[in-house]
Amino acid sequence: MTAEVQPGPQPVTLTVDGRAVAVEPGTLVWDACEKAGVFVPVYCAHRKMEPVAVCRMCLVEIGTMPKLQPACATVVQEGMEVRTQTDRVRRFREGNMEFLLVNHPLDCPVCDRGGECDLQDFAQRYGPPRSRVPITGKVHFDKARALSDKITLDQERCILCWRCVRYCDEITGDRSIVLQERAVHTVIDTFEGRPLTGEFQGNLPEVCPVGALTHTAYRFRARPWDLQRTVSICPGCSYGCTLGVDSRDDEVVRFVSQDNPEVDDSWLCDRGRYSFPELNRSDRIRAAELRLEGPLRQVPALEATAAAARALALVVEQSGPGAVAVLGTPAMTNEEAFALQWLARGVIGTPHLDHQLAEWPGLDPVEFRLAVADLERCDTVLVLGERPELATPVLSLRLYKAERKRGREVRRVAADPDPAELARTVRDRQLVGVVAHEGDRDAALRVAAALAPVNREVRRLTLTEGMNGRGCKDLGLLPDLGPGYVAAPAAGMGGRAILGAAAAGRLRALVVVGPNPELEADPAFEAACQRVALLVGVTTVPGVLSRHAHALIPGRTAVEKAGTVTSSEGRVQPVRVALQPRFGTPPPELRLLVEIGRELGGRWTGEPRATPTFAAIEAALPAYRGTRGGLRAAWPQWERPA
Amino acid sequence: MFRELIGGLRITMRNMLSKPVTIQYPEEQRPVPPRARGRHILHRYDNGLEKCIGCELCAGACPVGCIYVLAAANDPAHPVSPGERYAARYEINLVRCIYCGYCAEACPTEAITLGPRLDLADYKRERLVATKEDLLESWPGFRPTAAAPGRPDPAPRSELAAPSPTAPVARSATDTA
Ligand code: SF4
Ligand code: SF4
Ligand code: SF4
Ligand code: SF4
Ligand code: FES
Repeated sequence: MTAEVQPGPQPVTLTVDGRAVAVEPGTLVWDACEKAGVFVPVYCAHRKMEPVAVCRMCLVEIGTMPKLQPACATVVQEGMEVRTQTDRVRRFREGNMEFLLVNHPLDCPVCDRGGECDLQDFAQRYGPPRSRVPITGKVHFDKARALSDKITLDQERCILCWRCVRYCDEITGDRSIVLQERAVHTVIDTFEGRPLTGEFQGNLPEVCPVGALTHTAYRFRARPWDLQRTVSICPGCSYGCTLGVDSRDDEVVRFVSQDNPEVDDSWLCDRGRYSFPELNRSDRIRAAELRLEGPLRQVPALEATAAAARALALVVEQSGPGAVAVLGTPAMTNEEAFALQWLARGVIGTPHLDHQLAEWPGLDPVEFRLAVADLERCDTVLVLGERPELATPVLSLRLYKAERKRGREVRRVAADPDPAELARTVRDRQLVGVVAHEGDRDAALRVAAALAPVNREVRRLTLTEGMNGRGCKDLGLLPDLGPGYVAAPAAGMGGRAILGAAAAGRLRALVVVGPNPELEADPAFEAACQRVALLVGVTTVPGVLSRHAHALIPGRTAVEKAGTVTSSEGRVQPVRVALQPRFGTPPPELRLLVEIGRELGGRWTGEPRATPTFAAIEAALPAYRGTRGGLRAAWPQWERPA
Repeated sequence: MFRELIGGLRITMRNMLSKPVTIQYPEEQRPVPPRARGRHILHRYDNGLEKCIGCELCAGACPVGCIYVLAAANDPAHPVSPGERYAARYEINLVRCIYCGYCAEACPTEAITLGPRLDLADYKRERLVATKEDLLESWPGFRPTAAAPGRPDPAPRSELAAPSPTAPVARSATDTA
């Protein structure tokens, strides 16, 4: 049923179980109940999807209406009287639970959802004490059916809430899951039985309120009471989705999404969600190795930093600081990037510093002006090529939401479109968003320049590679710019040029902080590693760097250290320690970098820990002030006319 | 005064002539009451499949958290237990356990029960963390009897050979047979 919604902010007042609440017009009774502090059980309703009212679990009594009404689909009206605790409601809930369990296999003990299942919880809270239906003679369907390599479906456990179907329809738009057959034979299946192929399958087990859709990677791995959850940031890309790291026995067993409406809107992509096995690698580097001052030997990490510093000092003394180059990684935290910048420019005194191979001269925070949540507010969004959505997959869901739920125009154009042509077709608009991968920043600049005169405002969002590619740029891990995009005292060589110079013998020492997959995959890196006289490597992942480093110093993985990372849109978010250090865990990179710097005579005030280091960043970079809890840094450059 | 003395000596005399309560433990053992809660046993079905399905409900119910279960998926060709799931690892810390029996209460398949074994001393702490192999009934043909009074334990498993013959603590469930 629908209600007359008065325009304007006039709130609607109603009572829920006698408690008065005032809500905005158009609110659903379910939300009003929550606001009144009354819990209403739901299965089919989902905060991110349209109501369908198929499960009938949320039925409540409203005023004098003769029948019970679904709270998840009824809009509030002035003076409504909602009752959720009457005998009639209780009887209906009991009946509903009994129906839901008629053909349910009741195999909670082997079900992955057991312990965190709405069907278990509500059956216990609202169900009848015993069932009148015998356990034999149930209708059986397929168990443990692989819908893809990621998702396993148990058709018997499904309660037909349609959430998965609506997810594929409303959220991803790929319509890959459908309902089949009729009546008691109704089951969930993929469209025409084809395997699922989407990039967002991992959200399905989370929207499913029961144990029907489950993660194949988490199958039988743990129970909720085994798990320790730490809220952190996804290491998969620079979009900055919030996630829960669930660990058991010092291993990450799954990543779960956490709703951050400004960024991920409670969804994760499969690349990020299923990236956790990388963090459990048994061959991760734990021991420091020295190939300096004699044959290879294993030493404690802090002995290796001291030896590396001595060797670096020797190179600087013999050939000057310009013979040293420093390469970071977009996977490092802001604090580590800040320390590395200090080490390179402040202590060693070399201008050759970068965090990736490609060079972007003259970067400007204006390129990152547009917030991802504001994509829903742009009248037109131009997406340049495929690379933005390949780099940060969850962006696709935000674009689909802008298109489908907000009615915005989302145009996917070529990676290097004709700006004049675009200016002709996109016109008289209020706000235009231009979304591009950092590799296409020149094209995005041209498009923005062409559109600016005919639009109220053009804002750009540039998507960076790596978890913290944006933070590394903000903090000056760039050959030409220092922290805050101010020109560095002396411009040095960028990533690609450093490798070339090292391979040609023009550099004597290389300090590389990893893991940096881009470097590892590049043949020029191996050539450079072989040529330089001194290679200092800090990394967790074995590869080219660990094979060649003269001083190999082990670091910590993304779930073992604390700090902050900055997403592409400039949101500074905390990463937390999910796996507590135990015997044999190396010291955090921040400490290692500071130790090398101190050994070389540099001055680092305060302790080399994340919190005091962030305070130092705030002092050096006013845009970062007070952003640590997940706020976007606001840049003075934004106010400048484009 | 004499009367008290005689009374006391009578008690002494009576006890001197009665059968002693002391038994020659461990060669001799007292009968264990049928419902005593001793060391756990993991049971099997008649066809040899393990009853335990690795559901971890025992671990969840255990008030001291001394049970560790790591489940895995059954290979349909060679199942360990009926159904999809089995316990790949199953460990109980017998020193931490308070023998409350909640685990047996929680188990949906009656896979775990507390058996009659009460002599759990050992020379090595690590050996008091019982593994699945230690707890599982052997098969085929094994049936646990109730208490086995008055009989010494059979020889301990060779790899766990007890350091002295006076401490014959074998840790396989077979030793209750
Ligand atoms: S599979 Fe899960 S989400 Fe889909 S309809 Fe069934 S219960 Fe609902
Ligand atoms: S879906 Fe929920 S109720 Fe059903 S078997 Fe799994 S845990 Fe039990
Ligand atoms: S008997 Fe009690 S304390 Fe011992 S394992 Fe079972 S539940 Fe835990
Ligand atoms: S012993 Fe019983 S409760 Fe424990 S894991 Fe096995 S089946 Fe589950
Ligand atoms: S939650 Fe309201 S009908 Fe399903």
